Amino acid sequence: MGDIITMTQIVKIFPPSLVALDQVSVNFREGEIHAIVGENGAGKSTLMKILYGMQPADSGEILIKGKPARFSDPGEAISSGIGMVHQEILLIPEYTIWQNVVLGIEPIKFPNHLDVKKAREFVRAKINEFHFNLDPDAKVADISVAARQKVEILKLLFRNVSVLIMDEPTSVLTPQEIPQLFTELKRLRDNGHTILFISHHLDEVLELSDRITVLRKGKWVGTLDAAKATKAGLAQMMVGREVIFESLRQPQEPGETVFEIEHLGYTDADKRMRLQEINLKVQAGEIVGIAGVEGNGQLELVNAIMGLVEPQTGCIRSSGVDITRLPILDKRRKVAFVSQDRANMGACIPAKITENVIMTHHRLGKRFTRAAGSVLDYRQAVAFTGEVRQMFDVQMTSGEAPFKSLSGGNQQKVILGRELMLEAPFILLDQPTRGLDVGSIEYVHRQIIAMRMNRRGMLLISADLEELFRLSDRLLVMHRGRIVANLRTEATNITEIGYLMLEGKAYEA
Amino acid sequence: MKRKVMINLIGILLAFILGAVVMLIQRKDPLLAYASLFEYSLGKKFVYTLNKSVPLVLTGLSATVAFASGPVNLGQPGQLLIGALFATIGGLYLKLPAVLMIPVLLLLAMIGGALWSGIAALCKHFFRMSEFITTLMLNMIADFFTLWAISYPLFEKDANHPQTPPISPTGWMPEWGNLSSSVLVMVLVFAIIGWVMNRTTAGYEWRISGQNSLFSRLGGVNVNKNYLVVMLLTGALAGLAGGLVLMAGPHRFIKDMGANYAWDGVMIAMVANSGVFLTLIFGLFFAVLQTGATGMQLTALVPRELIQVLQAVIVLIVVAGRGYFETLFARLEARRKMKGLAK
Repeated sequence: MGDIITMTQIVKIFPPSLVALDQVSVNFREGEIHAIVGENGAGKSTLMKILYGMQPADSGEILIKGKPARFSDPGEAISSGIGMVHQEILLIPEYTIWQNVVLGIEPIKFPNHLDVKKAREFVRAKINEFHFNLDPDAKVADISVAARQKVEILKLLFRNVSVLIMDEPTSVLTPQEIPQLFTELKRLRDNGHTILFISHHLDEVLELSDRITVLRKGKWVGTLDAAKATKAGLAQMMVGREVIFESLRQPQEPGETVFEIEHLGYTDADKRMRLQEINLKVQAGEIVGIAGVEGNGQLELVNAIMGLVEPQTGCIRSSGVDITRLPILDKRRKVAFVSQDRANMGACIPAKITENVIMTHHRLGKRFTRAAGSVLDYRQAVAFTGEVRQMFDVQMTSGEAPFKSLSGGNQQKVILGRELMLEAPFILLDQPTRGLDVGSIEYVHRQIIAMRMNRRGMLLISADLEELFRLSDRLLVMHRGRIVANLRTEATNITEIGYLMLEGKAYEA
Repeated sequence: MKRKVMINLIGILLAFILGAVVMLIQRKDPLLAYASLFEYSLGKKFVYTLNKSVPLVLTGLSATVAFASGPVNLGQPGQLLIGALFATIGGLYLKLPAVLMIPVLLLLAMIGGALWSGIAALCKHFFRMSEFITTLMLNMIADFFTLWAISYPLFEKDANHPQTPPISPTGWMPEWGNLSSSVLVMVLVFAIIGWVMNRTTAGYEWRISGQNSLFSRLGGVNVNKNYLVVMLLTGALAGLAGGLVLMAGPHRFIKDMGANYAWDGVMIAMVANSGVFLTLIFGLFFAVLQTGATGMQLTALVPRELIQVLQAVIVLIVVAGRGYFETLFARLEARRKMKGLAK
């Protein structure tokens, strides 16, 4: 097997001074599945976007089959046989599968008609060739995310692409759908295609790939054969230190109920029932996890708890007080909240770090204001920022710097610090590690466990099953706006939860 | 910080160069024109420049506070007129000594402006109408309503032009030489607004809400209440500008008294980019240009309308340049880093 692509000394700098890739050299062999792993911000996606012509490199050389190449747009890359499937899927939902696949290179019939019969036959032939199990006449809007991903791959194969770049393909799939994708990708490899696969799930990487390249902070760390790699070894290469994967929880007796939802129901403005009969209870010193495929009511549940939408039925209680319809400020006395959306809900990106740290505290804590709450005591605010910085190990130059100057992990540390310092008995965690790198995830998890020791009650909503199993005492599964299961973490497993997430009911043999 | 100052200075410089090109095309001497402009406005007529800056800075502060806090209040022209009308009515019918009269009239002007912006705030609250539209429409209504008021019920008998009789002399702003005490009011208001925006809890909440309303709401900020307060406050500021124009100037409501002050104020807020201090600086600078226009016309025979062109060009270049120069500086820094890596 020869090298199909060689990338040498690639440098990419995002203005003003973020070095995304620092002289990265890597080669890809024909007919291999090559995984590129690294933490967020390691430069995986950037490297692939440069190869695909989406971003120009500042320096370095790319050889394709021995010939120098540099694409200025993805169209050129595709005509040279390189295609990329992005995380977010870009198809026209109203069109059928075959219409999406042929779009842009439709077979034409004299004088200037779309040759429908021929196009459909072409697409059908491709589907059969790769055993894709798709109906070419199905509308994209009606098919699952996994099937849409296949359509994306099909689109590229239809354009005779021999190198497929997959940007975190499993992040949109349920656990049950992943093995099928892997089978298909392996079949493509056996047909002579080369697959470059971006991921930060090490299990997947080890299962699927032939070779693995590890990037860390824009630098090449190593390329190794998957057969010789181990999960712990890869993780260490990725973060530069050892990461522990086992459950973090110590056994602990839960205390009194700190948070309770009864018969909660919410129907949105379009008369769609988003939440039905939600009942749940969180005790002090307990972490209750909510699993579910995104879009099954988690967002509405968070919004109802926080007061962004008003539920029609039911009630929400914190420490015995009905908070369902209280103003948000009064809710915040009882509820700390870490949002999955740092930029819009968790922080004010252009404002100073200090201004972000004192939000909510400035109303609830007397420390930050004088003259009956009307004048801000900025000196206290600065001191408080220093405390958060120390306690939560935030890497920053000064509290006067804008929040957006922090890295993602440090942003989340600041938010976590602010919310945990509120000392509310209940903490709502909505995907608290979304978009963070392995090191930061580890840190956030430790803080959550520390809060459990501190006898706070927590509701943890997450799309990451590994995270849920690692942290939760109990697991609830949400499906179509209902809670369909309530299981002790020890009494269940990933397969069972995955099945419940998809089917909404327990597996029946 | 240094960079921001530079971007503003580059914008002003470019605008002056463009103005010079326009003058050269018309065969005028740009150096003479600019020299006479500054000589006039910063030299013998400096006091007039200060007086002129009062409505510019106050309406500028009104727009700055609004834009920084979220509400797009573009109703300063209308709020200014209603404020002036309220002060006029007070000045015509109240009989008070100056110590009481002046504060009462200023308060009335503020109430008038706040009332006018309050209508827009209520439209938003009850009918979800955007203040962006309603404040603009209320400007028209204020324009014709005040014209009607000074043409009919408040019309001065036998005048050949829509105007009211003069207000009671106890309501005239005192002058020292030619310097109007309205300048003092302006400085005071500037200090108060700067303090409110940067040092109080309310100002903190307004600024954060202006940049991310959802975040503030989740943080426990009463966004709706703050919206109302900001609308009323900014209306009051524009109304105050109207009251001062009346009480320091013609001492009666005459047609077109509001001139272009409020729109200039909106422009000033735009170049100042939500900064209270920059609003003062640009307000003074626009006053320099507008006062100097007369000198320029007298000495260099350049029509004073050129100053409006100059103002508009400054706004365009500074606002457009802000984004452009940021990326330019960022690119330069990236290139420097690149060289560092190569070593």
